[in-house]
Amino acid sequence: MSATTAPPPTEPTAPTSTKPAKDVPRSIRALRLARAGKRRPDRRESKIENPLREGLRLERMPDPFVLVLFGGTGDLAHRKVLPALYQLWRTNLLPHEFMLVAIGRRPYDDETFRADIRASLERFSRVLPIDEAVWASFRERIVYHGGDFNDPDTYSRLTARLDACDTEHGTRGNRLYYLATHSSSFPEIIGELGRAGLDHEVHGAGWRRIVIEKPFGRDLESAIRLNREVGKVFRESQVYRIDHYLGKETVRNLLVFRFGNGIFEPIWNRRYVDHVQITVAESIGIENRGSFYEETGASRDFLQNHLMQLLSLVAMEPPASFDADALRDEKVKVVRAIAPLSPDEIRRDVVRGQYGRGWVAATEVPGYRDERDVDPESETETFVAARFAIDDWRWAGVPFYLRMGKRLPKRATEIAIQFRAVPHRLFTDAGADPEPNLLAMRIQPDEGILLRFGAKVPGLGIDVRAVNMDFTYGSAFSVDSPDAYETLILDALLGDASLFTRADEVEQAWGVVTPIIDVWADSPPPEFPNYEAGSWGPPAADELLARDGRRWRRI
Amino acid sequence: MAGAAAPPIATRTVGTGRPGTPGEPTLRWASRAHSIADIETELARIWAVPKLTTRVEGVEERHIAARTSVLNLVVVARREEIGEHAAAVIRQLTGRHPSRTLILTSADPEGRSWLDADIQAFCVLPRPDAAETCAEQIHIRAGGAAGRHLEAIVAPLLIHDLPVTLWWPSEPPLSSAAARDLLAMADRLVVDGSGWTGDGLVRLRELAAAMDRDRLAVSDFALVRQSRWREAIASVFDLPEFTPYLRSIRRIALTYGTRDETGAPGTTNVVKPVYHVAWLASRLEMTVDRPLGPVDGGRATGRTTARTASRTAAAGPPILHRGLVATLRAAKSDVSVVIRPVLSATPAGTTLRVEILAERRGSELRADVTAEAETVHVRVWLDGVAALERSFLAARRTEVDLLGDSIDAGGRDPAIAGDTIRMAARLAGG
Repeated sequence: MSATTAPPPTEPTAPTSTKPAKDVPRSIRALRLARAGKRRPDRRESKIENPLREGLRLERMPDPFVLVLFGGTGDLAHRKVLPALYQLWRTNLLPHEFMLVAIGRRPYDDETFRADIRASLERFSRVLPIDEAVWASFRERIVYHGGDFNDPDTYSRLTARLDACDTEHGTRGNRLYYLATHSSSFPEIIGELGRAGLDHEVHGAGWRRIVIEKPFGRDLESAIRLNREVGKVFRESQVYRIDHYLGKETVRNLLVFRFGNGIFEPIWNRRYVDHVQITVAESIGIENRGSFYEETGASRDFLQNHLMQLLSLVAMEPPASFDADALRDEKVKVVRAIAPLSPDEIRRDVVRGQYGRGWVAATEVPGYRDERDVDPESETETFVAARFAIDDWRWAGVPFYLRMGKRLPKRATEIAIQFRAVPHRLFTDAGADPEPNLLAMRIQPDEGILLRFGAKVPGLGIDVRAVNMDFTYGSAFSVDSPDAYETLILDALLGDASLFTRADEVEQAWGVVTPIIDVWADSPPPEFPNYEAGSWGPPAADELLARDGRRWRRI
Repeated sequence: MAGAAAPPIATRTVGTGRPGTPGEPTLRWASRAHSIADIETELARIWAVPKLTTRVEGVEERHIAARTSVLNLVVVARREEIGEHAAAVIRQLTGRHPSRTLILTSADPEGRSWLDADIQAFCVLPRPDAAETCAEQIHIRAGGAAGRHLEAIVAPLLIHDLPVTLWWPSEPPLSSAAARDLLAMADRLVVDGSGWTGDGLVRLRELAAAMDRDRLAVSDFALVRQSRWREAIASVFDLPEFTPYLRSIRRIALTYGTRDETGAPGTTNVVKPVYHVAWLASRLEMTVDRPLGPVDGGRATGRTTARTASRTAAAGPPILHRGLVATLRAAKSDVSVVIRPVLSATPAGTTLRVEILAERRGSELRADVTAEAETVHVRVWLDGVAALERSFLAARRTEVDLLGDSIDAGGRDPAIAGDTIRMAARLAGG
């Protein structure tokens, strides 16, 4: 802002006890729902609404704010967070009164850091080339704040700097702390923010929110400990745990698909569904993240978060409203209803694998143990497949098969609802029974929905063959979808936590995964590597379904 | 088509060849027909041909995967060149929207009845590794009685259950019987009010009437194009200290460009500036107390015309007309509206400036919004002291963007568009 006179100080707006005449939807998504007659009440909304915003891209602009980016020089910040912010700025979705204070240990000055960001944007921005005028206005809002995360002096200087932002740039005390650091730094950063009083929300003096990147702990105990550390400083309503999967357009569309279409709900239960398969297949390996992967493995990196999130979205009951907590209440109920597995059941129903040398996409690739920064004797799993049961009224008796693997033949994320076979064989002359119907939701790539049904083969007699009705998103919408980080950062700025993970969700998911990790730690590992790169995982994964008379879908 | 000549159907399939460049539409099918029945046959053939594939290094590889299933787009083109232009715009949207496009051009209404149709399928690769997406485009030229009953051509060729968007470039005769029949089968009407002749206000009133009569959703490019202005104006009142002033607006002044030396009412299309006022008025729940009329000596007499203004101008140095005035009513107070022309090289009728004056508890807020090329500037003064200055970079949108937005089924602000158009019609005396 370049006003000749600073804007007048914030004056008290509407009395907080008075609800606005109309509830103001908080985001584009909320806006769409609002149009569908599902306006949700918002207890936190206390501002006078701006009627001119109705019908525009955002029904409410984020408040003026400072984004305090911890780990500002790190990979995540440069690949994801900063390009997302630039894109939001470029498309006028951020207020003019916005500042970015990046915190890192490197001895940078503002100009060096800005040059670094510019270089990263050239590589990672999804819209190129970089617009010089946009960049000029973006760069002047970026400052670098050097310091150690565990040094109280970093935070006292930060306090002064943030206050200066409020005065000079009109950011009005609103702060979004973004932890894009290694998770081991989370407790100390959160603790120091608390000690410096940077978490305090004083009425009328701005909001304080914190965004935490996964992993949220590495088992149930550490997750509880981390949540406790966070909870000592921030209220749960101030905490936004990012699982970027939830920001993906097609994952969000799962909700629309399930609850925006009337025809699926009546058959979305044990009476019609035989089983559900969720596959997250990656053709890539660990991509120079050997030391990270050695610490995590597929169960921590994917099963506890992304796969559990997909399972919750598929299996959850319809929420009463699209309020963040109503949605998350239903999701957490699903995870809570997952039947706990005994050690024997874990050994029987959960399969781990590690890839060996092989061929992927016509290229020979090394085995996991040959990757950089990986122990040559590593017992870390790069593949996990599991069979879960959800003990509730809707899903009792319907197995959910989940699998995730690295170096599989192709990149594909799909959810398949396999329906039951027809109860009576009518076409006795047909060569084979009709295949049961299948509904597959492709998350990536080629987002779309496929329905398989039987059709008569042309000719004399009656022969039935399965055919696919395939809807591809690209054929209906080729509008540029926002990146997951753009969606999520904007939601955090607007105070909409629907797409963020709540503490109890995290703990419940760890409650499912931790016993598996514990049993594996105590059990002799299988003969790793036990699947060839470019195959669909170890044979035991196929046996897991074969035992039940089923098989994995061919993707 | 009754009475149509039936020469042999000339068919040309262009389904083989290398895959297209991602994002660039490629012609994959072309044929011709001279009756509705033949057109239907040709359309069925496009999707029945099993070998409509592209070849990569001699190997059949990529099947034309999907016809888009989003909507029917009907274009009424009064002249051949309008139809050609519309076809070019729509081709750019191949992967995005229309499933079937019918471009209708009628000619020689008094001659014998005839029909000539070019049937084409365009496909586009969204990404190099994705399947192609295709859309059909049928350009129909009709003469004689067939050309006078376009609705009879359109009805059998619509893909059922898909919404119908009717794009009517140039001057749609919205009150004519023929237009009514076409509008009755449409869900959405797309027009560009800024291209209408005269001041455009008569047609604006017709548009509002058609919208309510046929329960149409309407997209007017003139209104869609202004979204960058609306975002900029709205941003002023996002600031909580300025928001209350929205309820205390006393004056809205618009300046628009004209190339007419007199600037007299009726010489320049004023649909765009009127939309600005109408948008503000409808969002702020104002009512029209006195519709727009010409300024004459500071008073609106409604009698100043282009001719009288020219006479005045001829007597001395050119004096630009002082424009149009209206009065709106907000709660218990009046809001004066002024729409003024200034000589400008910009396209006639382009809004150059929006000024909003508000008074509240003895304090005065003045917001001034201007635009140039890719930028919208906002300046705000509070009691004469500069309080805010901002620039929004927002690219002007092309016709492809505008059509894409407009036919984005149920796209953004349908209610806002309807409210604004109705308010604009009331401002125009409707």
